Amino acid sequence: MFDFDLTLPLMMAQFVALVYVMNIVFYKPLTKVITDREDYVRSNTTGAKEQLDQANKLAEQYEQELADTRRQSQSTIASAQEEAQQIAQQEIAEVQKQIQAELQQAQQELEQQKQSAFQTLEGQVNTLSNQILDKLLV
Amino acid sequence: MHYGSLLLDSIGFFDSLPLAKLEVGHHFYWHIGNKTVHGQVFINTWIVIGLLLIASIAATRNIQRIPSGIQNLMEYALEYVRDLTKAQIGEKEYRPWVPFVGTLFLFIFVANWSGALVPWKLFEIPEGELAAPTNDINTTVALALLVSLAYFFAGFRKKGLGYFAKYIEPTPVLLPIAILEDFTKPLSLSFRLFGNILADELVVAVLVLLVPLFIPLPVMMLGLFTSAIQALVFATLAAAYIHEALEGHGEEEAH
Repeated sequence: MFDFDLTLPLMMAQFVALVYVMNIVFYKPLTKVITDREDYVRSNTTGAKEQLDQANKLAEQYEQELADTRRQSQSTIASAQEEAQQIAQQEIAEVQKQIQAELQQAQQELEQQKQSAFQTLEGQVNTLSNQILDKLLV
Repeated sequence: MHYGSLLLDSIGFFDSLPLAKLEVGHHFYWHIGNKTVHGQVFINTWIVIGLLLIASIAATRNIQRIPSGIQNLMEYALEYVRDLTKAQIGEKEYRPWVPFVGTLFLFIFVANWSGALVPWKLFEIPEGELAAPTNDINTTVALALLVSLAYFFAGFRKKGLGYFAKYIEPTPVLLPIAILEDFTKPLSLSFRLFGNILADELVVAVLVLLVPLFIPLPVMMLGLFTSAIQALVFATLAAAYIHEALEGHGEEEAH
């Protein structure tokens, strides 16, 4: 079992050679590809992170703009409503004034007609009383 | 050294089963000059190395930013061993040690599992048998000695000769123990791996001999688990030793 011979040094030399060859065909290329891949992944991750940051910033900006626009539109609506209300009130007031004026005019006319009617009636009363007087005196 | 086969030869009845024959201590010797090497260990080591290299090349041949298939698998393996190294050596200095510790883990893991999963007995070789390379003491000692060299190298490169200060750092009384540690570290590393893998293969083989087919399955599952754990333990301890050499006592107090 324990017979040492030239196998031992030859095996040592063979193993050293194996380490040397494996270093060239196995360890170096695969280590290189692994580190390259790590670099690639790392750079891609940082790039993606930057893009994500940018996208987040854009979304924030957009939301702010949206809020601004909403506020603006609301104020526009409010001012329009106010304006419309003012216009309506104005028009109502005008119409009321007009109606009042017309009413006054109508009342005045009525009064005039009443007066003239009274006058004619008075004239008629006079003539009628004169006629009655004539008839009585006759 | 041949007690394994002797033991089983005595139960001659089981020799008729082709898959279940134990051979411990038999080696398929190759001769280089007047030295010998264990051929079966090298054949299996080359298969393991081939698997690792083919998987690596297949994974890196057409590298994509979004990984799929084999590239995904090997990236998972790389991140696993990288985290293992980082957990032991620390964020600051783990990088240059990833190839060494990672290859230790991958090599031992694939070697162990190849021994547990592939029915090597189907491939005939003249003597001995094919098995996990890590069940040969030469392989595990080689790896353990490399770990020792690695942590000495790490210590010297970081601190120069000041590395020796750690031997007398808390008190010179502990100098013999500190020196002893440098011997026990590779010893425990190599024997832990060797013993676990060899014991696992022996247990499986013996169980297969006694009760073929389904009874050994739980033990085989346990063997897979042990194999993975041993690979993890070896790599983790290697990284821990390197970390110890890099840190030293003085710096730890300065934290």
